[in-house]
Amino acid sequence: MECVVQGIIETQHVEALEILLQGLCGVNKERLRIHELCLRSSPNLGSVSSEVRLICDLEQPEPTWIIRHVGGAMRGAGAEQLSVLVRTMVESKASKNALRLFYALGYKLDHELLRVGFSFHFHRGAQITVTVSSVNKVPKLHAVDEAEPVTPGIQLVEVTAPAASDNYTEVVTAVSSFCEYLAPLLHLSKPGVSTGVVPTAAAAAASLMSDGGGTTV
Amino acid sequence: MPVKWVLHWHPSAGFSVNTQIMNEISQCVESLNGVKDGRWRSVLTFYKPITRDQSTAAEFPRDFLGLSIPEQPSKYYFIIRGQRIVLEADLTIQSIMETLQSYKSRVSLNFEGIQYQLGDFQVRVGKVAPSHSETMRGIVMEVEYLPISSVDKSRQILDDFVDIWKETLSKKSLPGQFLHIEPNFGEYGLSDQYTSQHTAVQYATVMAQLIATVQSTQGVRN
Repeated sequence: MECVVQGIIETQHVEALEILLQGLCGVNKERLRIHELCLRSSPNLGSVSSEVRLICDLEQPEPTWIIRHVGGAMRGAGAEQLSVLVRTMVESKASKNALRLFYALGYKLDHELLRVGFSFHFHRGAQITVTVSSVNKVPKLHAVDEAEPVTPGIQLVEVTAPAASDNYTEVVTAVSSFCEYLAPLLHLSKPGVSTGVVPTAAAAAASLMSDGGGTTV
Repeated sequence: MPVKWVLHWHPSAGFSVNTQIMNEISQCVESLNGVKDGRWRSVLTFYKPITRDQSTAAEFPRDFLGLSIPEQPSKYYFIIRGQRIVLEADLTIQSIMETLQSYKSRVSLNFEGIQYQLGDFQVRVGKVAPSHSETMRGIVMEVEYLPISSVDKSRQILDDFVDIWKETLSKKSLPGQFLHIEPNFGEYGLSDQYTSQHTAVQYATVMAQLIATVQSTQGVRN
């Protein structure tokens, strides 16, 4: 399972966010260019309709495919009160035939995306990953070079951390407290709960750009 | 990775496999100075589609197999032989498949037995039995030539080894023989450099042969 929150930021403030993240995490960013294929089961296949994602980071020297299944969110009154979404997520590396196999099994391509941006991986109470990316739609089959932004001028920020049933409360706390540091630039919330851009972003970005993000927290 | 051949026991017409044949084969490996090197087990699972409408089941593959092998304990293999597809994935792919609820395990077969070292060769002999019963359904043999990883370059030496092996075994006058059917690895997009995906493809081929043998045996009985 994983803990996840998302937010959006205007592209003009991404550089400031990068400076802030660099200062907070103390690690270098990693570029990413992720080709994501979302597959859906044929209408007659499966007791319920199912969805699986094939993901490949084209920025890696030897790109490899990952099969990812994102399951339902944790439910219940306790889960409602958390500011972070806790959901099942299982990944498996796969050889190059993953798409052919799923086509043969009766899955159809629903849509494909190209995420371009960067990420930071670090440990701060939990193994946290912050991903900042522009989400692009792929107009023609597999034509990633012709990808166009879904929301021009806006980038998606995602904070995730792996968790297990016996430690997710600690992970939620770690993710929540990390998100507070980003609050002047963007607001992070559970996926699907849109909170828009924050009004203080421009001022916070200007401040960060002027002192170069040298302040460590 | 060393090249491996997977052979299966083809019983003579009217005969089936049994423990006695298995024991005779094991004794034969030992007579070639095979040194016991532990036990091994591979598990092959048949998956079937879960469909909302039974009449549409034919749209989906009936020969979808999953395989776990001892030399790659953190990997899992899928094979659809009819469409010449093999996939290597992590073990976690099994929980992804369970969660998707689009295919379910129909039956699992264990391939298990003893591993031997014979100089540069590693030999495994094992019985094939459903995971829920001890009933033997077949016998398999893996022969691995450790120094070479090219399928082409190892063919001659493996062929010679199998010839010697068959000759030795023929002295026992058992009702059947080992067969080796080399799949066309190129059709699966596999190269000459041997990988565990080659092993997975061979298991799918052996499985098809075992099913054909069982069906023909039943045909004779009927």
